[in-house]
Amino acid sequence: MLATNLKILSVVLGTILFYTYLAGSIPQVESEVPAELDLSANVTAEELVAAGEELYAGGGGCLACHGTGTRAPNLLEPDGATGLIGERCGQRVEGMVCKEYLHASLIRPTDFVVPGFDPIMPDMSRTLSESQVWTLVAYLESLGGEVTVSSEDLAASAADPAGGATAGSAAPASTTMEPMALLEENQCLVCHQLGDQGAPIGPPFTDVGARRDVDFIRSKVLDPASVQPAEGYEALAGTMPTTFGTQLSAAQLEVIVQFLAEQR
Amino acid sequence: MKRYLRHPFWQSGLVLIAAYLVVTLGIAYLPPILGIASAPVPGSVVLQYMATVLVGILLYVSSDEDRWREFKEPVEVMLTSPDKRYVRSALLVAIPALIGVLTFFQVRPTVAAPPNLRSIHPAPPSQISFRGQPIVLDRLENPLRHEGDLNEHLAVGRRTYYQNCVACHGDALDGNGHFADAFSPRPLEFGTSTIAQLTESFVFWRIAKGGVGLPREGAPWNSAMPAWEDVLTEDEIWSVSIFLYDQAGVSPRTWEAE
Amino acid sequence: MTFRRIGRGSLRLLLATLFVAPFLTDVLLAQEAVGAVREYGDFPVIGARGAVWIAAQVHLLFAAFVLGVPMFAIGAEAIGIFKKDTRYDRLAKEFTRLLVIAYSATAIWGAVLVFFLTTLYPAFWGHLASIFEVSMWFYVGLFFFESFTLYLYYYGWDRWKLGRAKLGHWGLGILLNIWGTAVMLIANSWLSYMMSPPAEMTPDTAPEMVQFWSAFANATWMPINIHRIIANVVFGGAIVAAYAAYRFLLAKSDEERAHYDWMGYVGNLIAIGALIVLPFAGYYLGREIYEYNQQMGITMMGGFMSWLWIIQAVLIGVLFLAGNYYLWVGMGRIPGAERFTPYIKYMLVVLVIGVIVWATPHTMIADRDELAAMGGTHHPFLGALGVMSAKNTAVNLMILTTFLSFLLYRRANLRPTIAWARSGTIVQGLLFAMAAAVVLFFGIYGYFVTAIVRIGFSVYQVLAVLTAIVGVVVLDVFMARGAESRGEIRWGQMPARSQYALFVLVVTFTWLMGLMGFARSGIRQHWHVWEVMRDTSPWAATPALGPAAQMISVCVLIFLVLIAFIFWLGGLIEKPQLVVRLRPDDPRVGERDPAVHGSELDFLPAD
Repeated sequence: MLATNLKILSVVLGTILFYTYLAGSIPQVESEVPAELDLSANVTAEELVAAGEELYAGGGGCLACHGTGTRAPNLLEPDGATGLIGERCGQRVEGMVCKEYLHASLIRPTDFVVPGFDPIMPDMSRTLSESQVWTLVAYLESLGGEVTVSSEDLAASAADPAGGATAGSAAPASTTMEPMALLEENQCLVCHQLGDQGAPIGPPFTDVGARRDVDFIRSKVLDPASVQPAEGYEALAGTMPTTFGTQLSAAQLEVIVQFLAEQR
Repeated sequence: MKRYLRHPFWQSGLVLIAAYLVVTLGIAYLPPILGIASAPVPGSVVLQYMATVLVGILLYVSSDEDRWREFKEPVEVMLTSPDKRYVRSALLVAIPALIGVLTFFQVRPTVAAPPNLRSIHPAPPSQISFRGQPIVLDRLENPLRHEGDLNEHLAVGRRTYYQNCVACHGDALDGNGHFADAFSPRPLEFGTSTIAQLTESFVFWRIAKGGVGLPREGAPWNSAMPAWEDVLTEDEIWSVSIFLYDQAGVSPRTWEAE
Repeated sequence: MTFRRIGRGSLRLLLATLFVAPFLTDVLLAQEAVGAVREYGDFPVIGARGAVWIAAQVHLLFAAFVLGVPMFAIGAEAIGIFKKDTRYDRLAKEFTRLLVIAYSATAIWGAVLVFFLTTLYPAFWGHLASIFEVSMWFYVGLFFFESFTLYLYYYGWDRWKLGRAKLGHWGLGILLNIWGTAVMLIANSWLSYMMSPPAEMTPDTAPEMVQFWSAFANATWMPINIHRIIANVVFGGAIVAAYAAYRFLLAKSDEERAHYDWMGYVGNLIAIGALIVLPFAGYYLGREIYEYNQQMGITMMGGFMSWLWIIQAVLIGVLFLAGNYYLWVGMGRIPGAERFTPYIKYMLVVLVIGVIVWATPHTMIADRDELAAMGGTHHPFLGALGVMSAKNTAVNLMILTTFLSFLLYRRANLRPTIAWARSGTIVQGLLFAMAAAVVLFFGIYGYFVTAIVRIGFSVYQVLAVLTAIVGVVVLDVFMARGAESRGEIRWGQMPARSQYALFVLVVTFTWLMGLMGFARSGIRQHWHVWEVMRDTSPWAATPALGPAAQMISVCVLIFLVLIAFIFWLGGLIEKPQLVVRLRPDDPRVGERDPAVHGSELDFLPAD
């Protein structure tokens, strides 16, 4: 009686254990919740800040200028008496609260150039979605200030549904193959002069084909630090963004390089 | 000798050995004789097959009362008979030793990477963001198949393929491009077996998002496929898809009518 | 004076309370509703998800039992009525007795589930309730009718046992089944809604705006209904068989052994018989899921759940092998079965190869060297066995083989007397051969056509198998007419190991239900309601197969312990009445013999 019961018990338990072992012996794949930020829903300030921080150091490319070196205001450290960016942002422009100022600075950077710096910052709305811009604002506010960005801001700016914080690389804004349009789009003329267009910050494009060959131009565009800065422009070394490699398609890059090489 | 061949216990042993030979050697070396590609069977699968065969043998010998008694006889004799004393002692040493050796090889630290499970066709998301624009994949069809000139799309697709994809996926779309040997897993070939099972929306997703866009079960760190949305336009990807299906000579899996 | 003042004061207070309080509570409630909507609760140790998982799974297993057994009971009662075989009637009654106890266990676990959901997933439960409130009221109402029909059915058994009353009693059994099925259909709509809400719903759709019927009769509702009804029959049969096996092993007399041996046979017959059609219902469900949403379909078949199907294949392989094994061992007690035993090894070879093919993974687990030798995770040769064509072919051939086992078993002790017996057997053989040929042909041809055509092929394979089964059965019924017996089946002369096969069967069925339940709800991943309501709890990530299997095992153990307790309880209520089969010339025919557990002695013609 007892022996039979024990036998039955061991058969039952043995079968269950076998199945449990079998399922545990294969490689385990867990279905994780995708990290995408659902910005259309009730997003919390913490989520916005976290997404913004990731973007700031990663795909947004902000760290290239704001954080190291002296070519742009350092946003990660206190600026003398005015404190961190989250504290000082509200006092920068008369009549603009912190949130508005930061947002405007991101999408219309040349409007509020801090004295002592060159107007080299590109319009971030070209490479980031509207909701990503707001995550950056939230992150900057969190540095020493209070986060006031909320889901209403996102809704008001008609956030695109898929534009989560995961869009790591800055996708090219367009697919045009027109050289002038490309120069315009990628903000080359913010620093370089071509004819009567552009600003005289970096070396001019006007006769670049006479000074440099195709290979040099390509290297310079892709990796500005790989070649010697032009004579007379050493002080600006490191100012040129390093993001063109991801911003341009290969074909677009060739269009620009060939176009510049023809400027003699 | 004949007595042993007729005995269920020894018969079972023979069947087991024969099955082992078929699984390990037969599957690996017989099909190539007929011109069919094959390879050694991984250990995990060998174990699985042999366990199934063993269960089958045990079921067979125990399905008949007489056969079952006969089958158990050598075991009983070995365990109880006085003149089998030395065999018994030898087995009592050998079996634990064998288990010990197996355990040793099981837990011995090795430098090999642990086997991982990679899903070749992981589930696509319902919607992706293509250059910031949302694209709903569910029930999505290739828009170029319904508009414009198909030959033109084919030409665009061909050009795009040979400008971008050929280095890995090869001239003949067989996954044997110049870089192919450098990658593990190797680049996919576009034969009838792979893309014919997939809807075109799946192909679009894979080209646009590349290896980095794979979900976790697709082991994104293993795939070297770039995310082509950064380089190609939407229409170019759709054209490449048309070109691939055209070259493979198959049509994409279609959505069933609602 | 003081008294009056107090009195007046309290009166005023009372009036104030009476008039103001309702508004006050309204205000308070409204404030609470705005301020404190709690989305998730917590449960100690196992977490909210674990608690709901166990409650839902154990409830579901009991529910399957209390729905499957009545189907089994009315079937057995009908055979008892129309074939005048009282063994079946007693079998039906014995199980209805267990049903009464199991029914309350089902209700208790159902209540546990509802309370867990309301306390641990209040927001989700609110969503579900606001869409399905009406059907929830109906559900409760049907429960009421079901319980009372069950009581009438069981307690009226001996009262209405003769003539027309017996038919009426049988009608009660049918009614019981109707209530039970209706209850299940309503509950199915809730969970199938979670998988396949109406396509036009978005996360922003207010639940009040959802049309009730579009949510109720959603895309996967009907496939799940069909799948579950068949699975309940299988499960009911398997539990009956395990109960019989338990009683058989502990039986003290030969009569008892004979009775429970027979009962185990009947349970196994029903379980395996219904199991044969279950894969077809499963394909229908899978197809509808794929149709509803490609992502869900691929997650299920090729995504992170793909390995689940290898485990499932192993389990189904165990079911087929154990079921056939039970039949083969059972042939030992049938005079005349010796003619067929040589075929067992061929059937076994087909089954073993079938299991091997079915459980061959498409993506193999291999280390680096093995991967290099294979040139990827797909084996160049065995990879062909990993795709749908091979699996369909394997499972159809296994079904055909199992059916052949049944046929041989059934025919073992018969000697047909009709003139065309030989040609009939040849036709049956041809039907088998044709079905096998069709299955093989489409299995191989499937490699040369596109996926959409290949899916259509599985229908032809299934139809060929079903045609063969129906044709052979019809022929067999006619051939068995007036057949002579080669000797009576020696019920009770069954080796104990066959009974353990029945235990393996029931554990495997139960575990398989848990596994498939995990697959069905796991493919929703981090959604409560697919792409409508997101799971934002800490338990949103769907666990890997290993942890899931541990949960399933816990649920199965809880269920088996409880059901064992119920069986034991059933034994306490009254000793099962046995029908002892006597030869017609036995002097004890018609007597009551207190020596045999107070059971009735009865003569039954050998069938």
